[in-house]
Amino acid sequence: MESVKLRADHLTAFYGGKPAIQDISLEFPDRKVTAIIGPSGCGKSTLIRCLNRLHETAPRTRVEGKVLLDDEDIYQLDPVRVRRRIGMVFQKPNPFVTMSIYDNVSAAMRFNGRHTREELDHAVVHSLQQSALWEEVKDRVDAPATSLSGGQQQRLCIARALAADPEVLLMDEPCSALDPIATAKIEELVGRLKTDYTVVIVTHNMQQAARVADYTAFLYLGKLIEFGPTEDLFERPKEKLTESYITGRFG
Amino acid sequence: MAGDAGRGGSSRVKFDRFARRKLVNRIITVLAGLAVIAALYPLVDLVYTALVQGGGVLFQLTFLTARNPTPCSVVSCATVGIGPTIEGSAILVGLASLISVPVGVLAAIFASEYRTRGIGRVVSFTADVLSGVPSILMGAFVYGYLVLEYPNLVESVISGSLALAAIMIPIITRTTEEALRTVPDATREAAIALGIAKWKMSLRIVLISALPGVVTGVLLAVMRAAGEAAPLILLTGFSTNWYTRPDLPVGSLPVLIYTYALQPYSNWHAVAWGATLFLLIAILVVNVLSRYTIQRMVTKMSGGS
Amino acid sequence: MNGDPLADTGAPRGYDLLVRHLKDRAVKMGEWALGMVHDGWKAFDQGDLQAAQTVLDRDTQLDRLDEDMEHAAIAFLVLRQPAAVDLRTAAALLKITTHLDRIGRLGFDMARITLPGPDSEIPELAEIRSLLQQMDEVVEPMVQQSLDALGEDRIELARELFRRDDVVDRMHREANRLIIEGLEKNPTLARRLAADLLVAHHFERIADNSCKVGEKTIYALTGQRRSEYLPRHPFRPYALETSLPPPRGGSGSRSSPRGSGAKAP
Repeated sequence: MESVKLRADHLTAFYGGKPAIQDISLEFPDRKVTAIIGPSGCGKSTLIRCLNRLHETAPRTRVEGKVLLDDEDIYQLDPVRVRRRIGMVFQKPNPFVTMSIYDNVSAAMRFNGRHTREELDHAVVHSLQQSALWEEVKDRVDAPATSLSGGQQQRLCIARALAADPEVLLMDEPCSALDPIATAKIEELVGRLKTDYTVVIVTHNMQQAARVADYTAFLYLGKLIEFGPTEDLFERPKEKLTESYITGRFG
Repeated sequence: MAGDAGRGGSSRVKFDRFARRKLVNRIITVLAGLAVIAALYPLVDLVYTALVQGGGVLFQLTFLTARNPTPCSVVSCATVGIGPTIEGSAILVGLASLISVPVGVLAAIFASEYRTRGIGRVVSFTADVLSGVPSILMGAFVYGYLVLEYPNLVESVISGSLALAAIMIPIITRTTEEALRTVPDATREAAIALGIAKWKMSLRIVLISALPGVVTGVLLAVMRAAGEAAPLILLTGFSTNWYTRPDLPVGSLPVLIYTYALQPYSNWHAVAWGATLFLLIAILVVNVLSRYTIQRMVTKMSGGS
Repeated sequence: MNGDPLADTGAPRGYDLLVRHLKDRAVKMGEWALGMVHDGWKAFDQGDLQAAQTVLDRDTQLDRLDEDMEHAAIAFLVLRQPAAVDLRTAAALLKITTHLDRIGRLGFDMARITLPGPDSEIPELAEIRSLLQQMDEVVEPMVQQSLDALGEDRIELARELFRRDDVVDRMHREANRLIIEGLEKNPTLARRLAADLLVAHHFERIADNSCKVGEKTIYALTGQRRSEYLPRHPFRPYALETSLPPPRGGSGSRSSPRGSGAKAP
């Protein structure tokens, strides 16, 4: 039985009075990739943004329930510290446009304490290697982040998130804005990342979930419908609703 | 031509409509041109007059550094210089900037980063309103306060700087807030998701991203303050001495121009024109320099592309 | 879109038509194969070499049906990237065509080993021949039933096949016994008896392949694999078996199976 790194416990989140997700209890196994799939508006983005306490930074939002990281409720901890342990990569690559590649990757370290130049250098190289970007930028690490292509920028954002040394990496549709080749590179990257990190990835692309995830959760209208090993969910879903969705017979 | 016969009527109508439209177009263009000329005329006239009247004075080598002239009604009286006045203006504007830049920028950050909660909107609205208040009223406000609390400071560098700061703060707040608004939310989210504290994110990331816009706003406020006369007339008054202590009055260019122009001494008139020309040139130079610097800042930040 | 997203909107969607089409192709191939079994047995039974020839000529078409079916299933997989029931159906069909091909081929072989002149003229072979006829009467409907289960999505039909398979097994063992006795008693009839032995074996194989078609049909519809509803029992050599094992496979209900049957190797 897998050990559980992150767990949502009866999680409900509101947007201006209306619940976007309702009573979701879900376990994310340690060092595995868990995908969250479902039709538009099913609450997958809301769910993932509750996992690093980003949801509550928007106006008129409210969260009920718990999210446990190694059995500690993150809603009882300092949110800034929580976000250093749970990192996030967004749908549209968002590097800091006024900073260089180096400054982007080292941002978390530079803003959160004192580090020597050697420590920063080491972390930058390591993170860029982990996100398969090092070879492409190693001779222009001081170039502005905006000089990279879309796919490279997204890998830069991944490196930036990894440099903060998180335990969990949340990815909100990381490949939606990318072409197929860039997407393939990132999917491959995700497969390697799971040796060191627990990954949660939201995707609207079922085939992507099938390709990268060990476990998949299916959400519909804010509720968790089914969760299980990806293979089982795609070959033999237990819920009729799940089957309707993955066979494309919705509506 | 035979083919046109059937459509003859309609094509002639079209032609008339077209010709009429062109005519109207031309009339409006001419009117607009005349309006532009009318609008620019005072400025052109001013610059021309300043050049003619003040040119001779300004280009004396010592004009900018020598002390103010003594009253003298003979044509051959010396014009000497406006040195202390320039120093005074610089001190007043400098001190006002020192006060207004931090306050204005922080207020703008507050308004922008907390814009969804009521208090942010209040700050923003207040800045909008205050930027439209006539500067004499700002001066009167400072005057009223000082008369009650520190009457000996009413005529001083401090009072003048406070009034100028009061004028500059709303301008800086508004322009900085605009500049901060151009920073996409994605940047803020990225910073928050990295576990960077909100105030650090606002100051060191968002503000830096918006820096060109912020600097533009500050320079705008500075140029406005450099040219304000009314509050200074009310408060600091005028002096021909070099700066000694902050609780004493000091000269400033706008007030000098006002004061000297009303006096009967001809050499003082010449000095006033010289000061006018100097002020115009200074503002022009600051304008050009700031555009150039900001442009360079922008290209450096966005990767020289 | 309001209401239950699962509500049947009435008109079949293009996707459903595709899956339906795939199944219909498989059924058509199965019917072709069944025809070869039927005519192959008839030819063998009556010693009609000309009839046998017509069965042999159908072999090419069988191949083509098999290839077309495989191609259609793979195209469906790669172009539609199906999941769940559609995926299982396509995967099941790939295996089903193998079994249907096998069935056709067994009919083909019956025609192939046809010996001239009906065996019914030889009294010693009568009992054997009548047993083989009975086998045909059980086996051919089994094939048809497996095709019906596939084409009409009927799980209970598929499940029932396992019970019938036990019957065929028993008949096969009996046929073996008779034929071996016959070989010992009438060595001159060896050629004929050897052919009969093969035919009995072929019938048993056809029944087995029909069961496999049923298994795959159940898998496509429910996702259940054989081991989840039919436990196996260990086999032993015939020589060590003292009596016939109890039948296995119940009716179409979900009650637990009663023991298991030994299958001929």
